[in-house]
Amino acid sequence: MRTLLTVEPAQGESEYWAGALGGDSEAFATVFDLHKDRVYRHALRLVNNVHDAEDVTAGAFLELWRRRASVCLVEGSALPWLLVSTTNLAHNSTRSLRRYRALLGSLPRSGPAPGASEAAFDDIEAARAAERLREALGSLSRTDGAIIALTAFEGFSPSQAAAALGISDGAARARLHRARARVAAALEGPSSGGTTLAAKEAE
Amino acid sequence: MTTEQIDPVFASALRDALVTHVKATRRRRFVWRWRVGLGMLAGTTVVAGGAALAAGLLSQPGAPVDTQLGTIVTATRTGTATINLGPVPGSANDLSLTLTCLSAGTFYFPDGSMSCSPADLRQPTVYRQASEVVPLAPGEDSVTIKTSPGASWALQAAYVHRVISPWATNARGQTYGVMNRNGSPDLVAVVINQGRLQGYVKASDLNCASGLDAVHTPAEALAWDKASEDRDISVPVYKSDGATVIGTFVLDDATHPGARTVPLSSLHLACEPPASSAPPAPSSPTPSTVTPAPVTTVQAPPTTSAG
Repeated sequence: MRTLLTVEPAQGESEYWAGALGGDSEAFATVFDLHKDRVYRHALRLVNNVHDAEDVTAGAFLELWRRRASVCLVEGSALPWLLVSTTNLAHNSTRSLRRYRALLGSLPRSGPAPGASEAAFDDIEAARAAERLREALGSLSRTDGAIIALTAFEGFSPSQAAAALGISDGAARARLHRARARVAAALEGPSSGGTTLAAKEAE
Repeated sequence: MTTEQIDPVFASALRDALVTHVKATRRRRFVWRWRVGLGMLAGTTVVAGGAALAAGLLSQPGAPVDTQLGTIVTATRTGTATINLGPVPGSANDLSLTLTCLSAGTFYFPDGSMSCSPADLRQPTVYRQASEVVPLAPGEDSVTIKTSPGASWALQAAYVHRVISPWATNARGQTYGVMNRNGSPDLVAVVINQGRLQGYVKASDLNCASGLDAVHTPAEALAWDKASEDRDISVPVYKSDGATVIGTFVLDDATHPGARTVPLSSLHLACEPPASSAPPAPSSPTPSTVTPAPVTTVQAPPTTSAG
């Protein structure tokens, strides 16, 4: 008698990912379970509407599956790739999520879409800080925005961020230094409807 | 105070959608392979009691011909269980299995696994069913299906005698026929024009047009994905002589509506020569120009070559 079991339940994320690559939908859903909240929190930093953040989150996981053959795990985790993808999707969510419009429109939501600040923050100063941060991040290039997301918000090292972005360690550190300076400058200055960084760049 | 978690209603629905999406995509890819590799067999495979058992009607070289031996064993179980299939007929060399999930859960069977969500259970049976024919080990007379706790399933199983006919060879020394568990012939049987025309495409063209040969680096993978969004690639369809062109076969990989169809030859991709020792057909010189599209890492998520 032979036990026709060739795939044991996976233990680590890389094993779940391997299962997903083999077509195991439940393994892919487990990767979603592992990272959905961190991806969503990052999306919320980048867009100003809870529903948009949900859509970007969904888009990141749908892209993860669509591009699965070329996804780069960083130390066994798909999270860095997801965060970079989230940054890219948020830059132009209308265009980048077009292919998933029907699916996104079919997903139920708990309620109407409040603004991100309204939903996420219960004091006005925190809301203003979040808005400034969003403006600052939105003005960075996608790569710089992704580096800030990976290092400042998600605790990855510059080397890990470099691996996730496919750039050299030195390039990642240089970009990180520049991006930090630009974000810090933006946060120190008054909010001006997204023109703060542009004005500083012109100086 | 920040909202730390995604809306659970949305997240739950998204999770279900992802599971369905993964299954659907996986299924479409299988269908593509079936259409490309075994397309000639469409309509000639006899389905017996839910177990796909070809019944000797398959005429293409390389096609597997399965002859059912004995009766189909059916069983319904919950959780991991072993089904005894009875005495092994002397000529049996394969097992035909069709597993249907009756509840949500994960089911492990030869060469992989299958998961069913609650949403899947509302779909027609075919969407929560997996079939395969697996080699039979000497003395093997049972099959064990392992599941996640409490998952229910139904199995139909039968011993079969499988014979894989040899590929044919044309005057150029090229093998032709259908893909099978032994691999791919030089010329792969396809049907085009809504099934009205039969012919062959070069396996090397298929590999090239699907990106298998063109992608070696993360940048190339990214470029290929990007380029594939709005283009379908067509490859020539030949008679079995490997020289007479009778049509084109389109690999519909594009994701954008209104995608254009471009001939493989117009892309000037650097693709590997055919794996076979057969000489290339004089009428189809191997492209030699390398033109990987330039890519910058700021345009899309990071990529690397698939392992």
